[in-house]
Amino acid sequence: MTDSPTAFRSARDSGYLLCSDCEKLHYLSQEGLHCDRCGARLHSRIANSMSISWACLIASILLFLPANLLPIMTFTTFGQGEPSTILGGVLHLLEEDMLMIGLIVLTASIVVPVLKMIALTILLCTVQFGLQTNLRQKTMMFRIVEWIGRWSMLDIFVIGILVALVQLGSIAHIEGNHGATAFAIVVLLTMFSAIAFDTRLIWDNGISDCPPDSTDHKDDQ
Amino acid sequence: MQGTPKHLIACHECDLLIERVVNQPDQDVVCPRCHALLYYTTLNSIERLLALSIAGLILFIPANLFPILSLHVFGQSQSEIILQSALSLYEGGLEVVALLILLFAIVVPLIQLIALFYISFTLHYRWEGRLLRQAMHSYQHLRGWGMLEIFLLGVLISIIKLKDIADLEVGLGLYSLAALIIVITLSGIFFNPHQIWHQIDLHRKQSRFYD
Repeated sequence: MTDSPTAFRSARDSGYLLCSDCEKLHYLSQEGLHCDRCGARLHSRIANSMSISWACLIASILLFLPANLLPIMTFTTFGQGEPSTILGGVLHLLEEDMLMIGLIVLTASIVVPVLKMIALTILLCTVQFGLQTNLRQKTMMFRIVEWIGRWSMLDIFVIGILVALVQLGSIAHIEGNHGATAFAIVVLLTMFSAIAFDTRLIWDNGISDCPPDSTDHKDDQ
Repeated sequence: MQGTPKHLIACHECDLLIERVVNQPDQDVVCPRCHALLYYTTLNSIERLLALSIAGLILFIPANLFPILSLHVFGQSQSEIILQSALSLYEGGLEVVALLILLFAIVVPLIQLIALFYISFTLHYRWEGRLLRQAMHSYQHLRGWGMLEIFLLGVLISIIKLKDIADLEVGLGLYSLAALIIVITLSGIFFNPHQIWHQIDLHRKQSRFYD
């Protein structure tokens, strides 16, 4: 075969591009046109990937402060009650000896968003400054981040269920507060940031770093 | 497109250009550089998706109409269906949160089930399928935005939080919701984008109605 790819060449360097929606291979010259199979616009890399990803990430980091400082809900029984924050809710669960549930909520509401923001910052810096690091590890990190991020919505659903269920007038009622809005937008923004991020950019800079291993693919030998 | 070499493929995660290898039905083809899953074979994918999407659409009705949880205190009681969460938050002034719950727990799963039903039905019965592309785009872009399993975990946490305060009763809606989540998860496993796009290609060549 005449144009057999060498082990290290990306499709773009070889004059091809992949449709992002149906993954059909096209020629690079067709960039900006529509895929003849699925109709999606053809881009060899996600357009403005870095700027959108950075913007969503920075916005989510800023909003993470009000999300944690403002109360997310208020539980009132017999006229008494005080608003609680995300961390307050977790601590309350831990005090009541509900260790497992407390840890689940702590993980979903605080650990996961913080780790996701750190991971996205590392990934974006890697691409932005062309750092030479273990690229396969970075790709793996992105996959985990992308998969786990949505679980942060857990607390939002809990608030929704409690607010709908505990509406017993003067006996007990729960209402949501605007910390929940901030937190929901944080989760949304980190998901947008991950979607806008193009993993192929990780590999564009440091292609010599990770040679393909020959075990998976006989053509590389 | 005409002339793009058939023996070449590119990795969607790291853009490595690779030669296509013929895979066995039980063999996954993985990118040699970044280890992303490139393509694989799902047996009877369309038939399974058709069955699962019909089951999902049926289960969607009780999961949304019957109460998930009921709470009884001092003779008063309150029931919760999924929509009620969004409505209560909306009334409480948290419109954004209400909208997100409405989207992630009701609208997105419904659109995905409808899209899946449309795709599998038209491909299985060889209907003309004018909207196949749109249905595929909707389904693929909404992956990850349907969050019923997270909602279910939220229900379980709410039960534990409230169990000391009030009498709770689990409703038919919760069982339907659990079944619906199983169906949606399975359909996600059997949804094989490469294979379905390839089938749409074949479908289109046979059908003069397309385009």
